[in-house]
Amino acid sequence: MNFAWHIITLIAIQMPAILGYNFVFGKGKIFHFGPLGVSLITAYASVLTLVHTQSFVLSFVAGLCAALLVSLLFAWLSFRLEADGLGVISLAVHLGLMAVVLNSNVLTRGALGIPGVKRMAFLQSVSDFAIFSGVIAVIAIIAAYFLNRSAFGRRLSALAEHNWYAEAVGVNRRHTHTWAFVIAAIGSTFSNFLFPQYLTLLHPSDYQFHSFVFYIMVIVAGNPGSVLGVATSTALLMILKESIRFIALPAAMIGPVRLMLFGAVLFAAVCWRRDTLFPPKREV
Amino acid sequence: MALLSLSDISFGIGQHQILRNIAFDVAEGDIVGLIGPNGSGKTTLFNVLSGFLKPSSGAILYREGDITALSAARRSRLGIGRVFQNFGIFRDMTLEENVLVALEALPKDRRIQLGDLRTVVGETLEMVGLSSHAKKKAGCLSGGQMRLLEIARTLKSGKELFLLDEPTAGVSPKMTGQVADLITALKREGKTVLIIEHDLPFIGSICDRVIVMDVGQIVLQGTPGEVKKSKELQEIYFGADPTT
Repeated sequence: MNFAWHIITLIAIQMPAILGYNFVFGKGKIFHFGPLGVSLITAYASVLTLVHTQSFVLSFVAGLCAALLVSLLFAWLSFRLEADGLGVISLAVHLGLMAVVLNSNVLTRGALGIPGVKRMAFLQSVSDFAIFSGVIAVIAIIAAYFLNRSAFGRRLSALAEHNWYAEAVGVNRRHTHTWAFVIAAIGSTFSNFLFPQYLTLLHPSDYQFHSFVFYIMVIVAGNPGSVLGVATSTALLMILKESIRFIALPAAMIGPVRLMLFGAVLFAAVCWRRDTLFPPKREV
Repeated sequence: MALLSLSDISFGIGQHQILRNIAFDVAEGDIVGLIGPNGSGKTTLFNVLSGFLKPSSGAILYREGDITALSAARRSRLGIGRVFQNFGIFRDMTLEENVLVALEALPKDRRIQLGDLRTVVGETLEMVGLSSHAKKKAGCLSGGQMRLLEIARTLKSGKELFLLDEPTAGVSPKMTGQVADLITALKREGKTVLIIEHDLPFIGSICDRVIVMDVGQIVLQGTPGEVKKSKELQEIYFGADPTT
């Protein structure tokens, strides 16, 4: 039973961050490696504030501020760079942030991570976490569903289909894309505020490239831009990811097998949805 | 009073000069044709007017205000509508959403009340006979239907100046008539139109004035009758007559 609660918790905790990124990458077609950097900084800002102040409110606010700051940096970069340039730069920004985290031993304890992260008083058991994060996830799904069908969602879709055509009808690209990045930052804050508390540990290895591959895989498989599709694929692929533990494999093999499985799913999903992901460029 | 005024507009990419010292005025309510061979800079001029390209020199005045530095979205909100040569509609969105996205982007003072939005969307689609396709993806429409939708959407979103880039391109002969009717309706409503077209009889039938461009500059302008009789026009399109 505990394993079921654990799976529900993992799905629910990841849901706000993935749905947020779905607005940027899935709906807005802005591909970048930013979520890794945003998640990393959000989690560290949140946990370090918690360690130093013992206040969960301040911890959440610090996480939100950090998420907004880094997310807006990526938004700013996206206005100035072409898609390939943004991809490379966002990867560089993430690696830079990771280097800071790994080398600031006094503050972050480097590669050792920060153990003993306190949990909120009402989140002491796995089931508590599952129920609380489940409620947050449901609220996130409902909010994302309505945002997707709102004027904002239509503007984002229009820009994704053709920047010029959208701007010609009066859609403000900077305004719309900035909001998409802000939504992604808010989603990331909820996920990365809860995740270290759930593990009672903040470890930099949780913010490496494989986490990003999972995000991409979930969005591509769930149909980029679709809230219900991405929510469903988050649940199914998280179950698949965690089920690997039950295969009789040496412990050292589980990680590589999981990555190979991710790669296969991603490959299949990209092949299946290549017209959605990489639509032919339309001339003016 | 000129609704649109261009003075000394130039644009180039590197050493290649695409527009050279373009200057003309467009009076409110006029339909002005822009013609010239391929590569003469007509669409580039439209891209500069729409705000997608920044001119290297010169100024663009709209209702006597300088809009040279404004973004495309700002210009659209001021009332400049663009109809693209390759159908500027969103093919992955429904017809209804295509109209909605334009209506929702209107500036606050002209924004349509939420309750009236659906009515205006319905009227827009009704106007071009596409009501029955409201829930369909716009990508399913024919070229002519896409064009009608694009012009109707631009009209209903309160634009005052229409930049129409080859509105009959990719449209069947039968629907060309409908497009022409819609452009004539724009004139009746007092809208100002700047139109790029290769179909000279079509241009002659709807325009008050014609501007001829070649190699990035204006070489001729006048009424359709004057331009049609001009030897320069024939030389631009067919080359100089070797017998004369």
